[in-house]
Amino acid sequence: MTTTEKRLRTVPAAVRVVDAVKVYGRGDTEVRALDGVSVDFPVGRFTAVMGPSGSGKSTLMHCAAGLDTLTSGAALLGDTDLATLDDRRLTLLRRDRIGFVFQAFNLLPTLTVAENITLPSALAGHTVDRERFDRIVDAVGLRDRLHHRPSELSGGQQQRVAVARAFAGDPDVVFADEPTGNLDSRSGEEVLRLLGRTVRETGRTVVMVTHDPVAAAHADEVIFLADGRLVDRMTAPTADRVLDRMKAFETATGTGARTGDGHPADTHDPRSADGHPTALTPGGVSP
Amino acid sequence: MRTPSAPASLRLARSSLGAHRRRFLGTFVAVLLGVAFLTGTLVMGDTLRASFDSMFTGASRGTDAVVRSAVTVIAPGDAQGTRGPVDADLAERLARVPGVAAAAPRIEGAGQLLAADGTPVGGKGPPTLAGNWIDDPALNPYRLAEGRAPSAPGEAVVNRGAAKAAGLALGDTTVLRTPDPVRVTVVGLATFGGADGMGQVTWAGLTRADAERYLTAHPGEATSIAVRAGPGVSQEELVAALAPALPDDVEAITGQRAAEENTEMVSGRFLSLFTTFLLVFSGVAVLVSAFSIHNTFAVLVAQRTRENALLRAIGAARRQVVVGTLAEALTVGLLASLAGLLAGIGVAAGLQALFPAIGFPFPEGDLVVTGTSLVLPLAVGLAVCAGSALLPAVRAGRTAPLAALRETQVDASGTSRARVVTGGVLLAVAVGTVLAGVLGTPSLWLAATGAALAVAAFVVLGPVAASVAVRVLGRPLRGANRGLARRNALRSPGRTAATATALMIGVAVVTLFTVFGASLKATMDRTVDRSFAGDVAISGATFGAGGAGLSPRLAPAVGALPEVDTAVGLGRGVAEVDGEGRALTVTDPAALSRTLDLGEVRGSLTGLGTDGLAVAADEAASAGLAPGRTTELTFTDGTRHTFTVRAVYERSDLAGDYLVTREAWAPHRTQDSDTLVAVSFADGVGTEEGRTAVTEVAERYGQPEVQTREEYAESSAGGIDMMLTLVYALLALAVLIALLGITNTLTLSVHERTRELGLLRAVGQTRAQLRAMVRWESVLVAAFGTLGGLVLGGFLGWVLVRASEGSGDSAFAFAVPGVQLATVALVGLFAGAVAALRPARRAARLEILRAIATE
Repeated sequence: MTTTEKRLRTVPAAVRVVDAVKVYGRGDTEVRALDGVSVDFPVGRFTAVMGPSGSGKSTLMHCAAGLDTLTSGAALLGDTDLATLDDRRLTLLRRDRIGFVFQAFNLLPTLTVAENITLPSALAGHTVDRERFDRIVDAVGLRDRLHHRPSELSGGQQQRVAVARAFAGDPDVVFADEPTGNLDSRSGEEVLRLLGRTVRETGRTVVMVTHDPVAAAHADEVIFLADGRLVDRMTAPTADRVLDRMKAFETATGTGARTGDGHPADTHDPRSADGHPTALTPGGVSP
Repeated sequence: MRTPSAPASLRLARSSLGAHRRRFLGTFVAVLLGVAFLTGTLVMGDTLRASFDSMFTGASRGTDAVVRSAVTVIAPGDAQGTRGPVDADLAERLARVPGVAAAAPRIEGAGQLLAADGTPVGGKGPPTLAGNWIDDPALNPYRLAEGRAPSAPGEAVVNRGAAKAAGLALGDTTVLRTPDPVRVTVVGLATFGGADGMGQVTWAGLTRADAERYLTAHPGEATSIAVRAGPGVSQEELVAALAPALPDDVEAITGQRAAEENTEMVSGRFLSLFTTFLLVFSGVAVLVSAFSIHNTFAVLVAQRTRENALLRAIGAARRQVVVGTLAEALTVGLLASLAGLLAGIGVAAGLQALFPAIGFPFPEGDLVVTGTSLVLPLAVGLAVCAGSALLPAVRAGRTAPLAALRETQVDASGTSRARVVTGGVLLAVAVGTVLAGVLGTPSLWLAATGAALAVAAFVVLGPVAASVAVRVLGRPLRGANRGLARRNALRSPGRTAATATALMIGVAVVTLFTVFGASLKATMDRTVDRSFAGDVAISGATFGAGGAGLSPRLAPAVGALPEVDTAVGLGRGVAEVDGEGRALTVTDPAALSRTLDLGEVRGSLTGLGTDGLAVAADEAASAGLAPGRTTELTFTDGTRHTFTVRAVYERSDLAGDYLVTREAWAPHRTQDSDTLVAVSFADGVGTEEGRTAVTEVAERYGQPEVQTREEYAESSAGGIDMMLTLVYALLALAVLIALLGITNTLTLSVHERTRELGLLRAVGQTRAQLRAMVRWESVLVAAFGTLGGLVLGGFLGWVLVRASEGSGDSAFAFAVPGVQLATVALVGLFAGAVAALRPARRAARLEILRAIATE
């Protein structure tokens, strides 16, 4: 265990999920998307949430980020129990304390790049600190694109704008949901490095949902979900190790049959399970 | 093998309608309202016409012939004309003609009842009449319902409707203004043709002696003679039998023709005016709905680009896509029109039930639903739907199959160069035409053509104007949500313009009427200001044909007051001047010049005598008259007299075109009354002091209102406000349809922006903020529509005022009523906020996760 790892173990959690259960539907159509997940996302760490399609990783993120509510259990941001907040407070919490990077459609087409970056502050009615804004814009390398509209940017540039927006408000945590899912490998790489660099240089907390081992390799730690349960964690991941773990995990839990609680186990290759073509081949871009 | 094209298109249309039912709600309601309005108008018009028809026929069933003077003088603006009297004694002679069973003189005149509380009854449109009670029930259109016929002086029968309105019961005593106040006791209540009265006309029946005394100028005169035929004598035979017994200038017509003339007078003039008026407003409503419908389909087609492209890609013919879209429009149109038909008939039935309840005696009878009132609205509803959807359908057909592969295109149509050029040219031509029609040789047609072109130019330029206007109007909006609202409104100028156009047309018509009404008022104001040199005016304060005028003895009585310097009455007479019907002002011309400002007078107004007259300068110029010239006047009694022009005066606003003395008019007069008494006080008499004295005298003459100059000017314009209120009520429907259009477009836009809204909510926009954002977008669109409507309506109002000035002889003032227009603007903005309520609520209810996940 490295010293960095020791430090990370002792710091408090930015986000905690305790005994999280999320059930969709009722009766025959009931689906347990989360089945008792407890996990901490420590401050200043870049955590990747891995798992095959249907493993509950997106649901976990949505519930931890206040976009969705848990059926039981608790999601906490710092000391705030999200279940105690009404829609308005929850919205203000997302605005002031959380940053988001979605897979696609991250930006408002009517706003310029600069306006998109400062959107949460504008909604809050205050202006962004000029120095901070400049630092972020330079970090994402979009200085010359500030007055462009999103439609004039490439996919990678759009995701970088989204990253800039996510960090611009100085949030407690940034949630990224498949941020590279729609990008080619090189653009994806850029966005992932940007996330990693920001965490390391500024001590931000990032939680990223992905099904891509290469993307996960950029994180400090990877947690694995399957069938709504936390099944493993891995520190200092590499793409190969993550891929191996995924494969091992599949053979361990799924034989093409059903798991204990009746969920169809996902036996496909995780990279193509969501229907995304394997643009990011593990061998191609892994270090 | 059958051609699958049509069925396939129809199946597509049906499935699309099923899937997007809510999106067609706005279209459905817009068509429904327009069609219902149209149907209601037609059905009500037909029903009223049929009711009046049967009422008149029933009322005059026993009258087989009417004998009356053949001389009518029709002065401009007096559609019916004034007919001369006949000798009442003629009735007795006619009664002896073989084939005649009975003949009775009929005396008709103006007589306004005072209610139990002393206020005048009616006089705000429908006539207020009085006459003699005819004992022969076959010849009397009125039937006694309660009480008895008048038999002694001061006894009267009153129609039941008037008695109700006046709060009078059998045995009550009140005053009948003829215009001299006559004390009458109500001894009977009468019905007319089975109803409580002839529409809202009030009628008082007196003894023949009273009627002759109060309603005719000369004893022994009658308005006409009603004749009943003996057994086996037809109406035509009766008329033929009467002819030899008639003196010169007296004619006999069949009872049936008399009834037809009466019906024609009411349904031909009043009813067709009424229905035309309503049809114009249903036209406005339909026009507004056409824009709303067009917009809905334009948005739907834009949203469906991928769907249509996919259809094209898998082999749908262009025609199939067009037919499918049109079929959708026609289905909505058909359903909505059918619902509208039912609603319209329901509204007409409701009004028929409601009118009697609010005191308007709607004649009894079944609702008349003709084929026209069913087919026409249905055809209009379908045509409007298909016509409005045609362009979007063609556009849908043009969708390239490749569009299926591209990202969803948000409709961003609007500001092409061709549009700017076309609109600009159209506007230039419109303004040119209007200016030519207004400033050059005045021509109402040229002005109207220009006005129509201006409306077209506004519609074409709408999208161009929309982006500019929203930018400017949205500039003061601060804060993130309002900024987002502004940008959303700017997103598709074509859509914003089309949405706003519906409201623009509604507001433009409102503005047009407001400006025209204010200009009319200003004109009257100016007229009184310029021409009324007196201190107070006593006027019959009437509107339309009602009222009985003022007693001709009022002016001398007021003039005798020590506080009063001059009091001069103005009465109305008619005569043909050189063969042309003209209104005469019967007055004391010399005294008149002291209370009215007649401007420059050539010649002398004193000593006109019985063969002199004074002419207004404009009329003198067009009739070729000058001081010293003579002209021949023909009166309604058939006599001709040569008059000498003694003076020509400049201002005719209040005085009228011809002035004659009372002495000159006396031999030819009909019922004697003044329409205005102008009073100027003696030196040193204050307004209040003088007014109190004059009011005291006026009380003895039926309590006419004594008004200061300002009050007089205001009351002259009283009818305008009433008219405007009615117009506003009718236009409310058009504005409502326009607002539905805004709601509908917003709902579609919100649907289209689901993902954006989800993103906004995710990154911290609260529900309240989101609602505000949608609301502000709506307000901006409404502001643009309202502003455009104000400008367009103001321009059209100016054109109308100028064009009216061109065709009339009096100077017309153009006025812009600031307060009213500001109110219109505020109502427009408020309405925009209201229109956004539902879409905003729906947008705010959006679940974030679903919005983000939406494809």
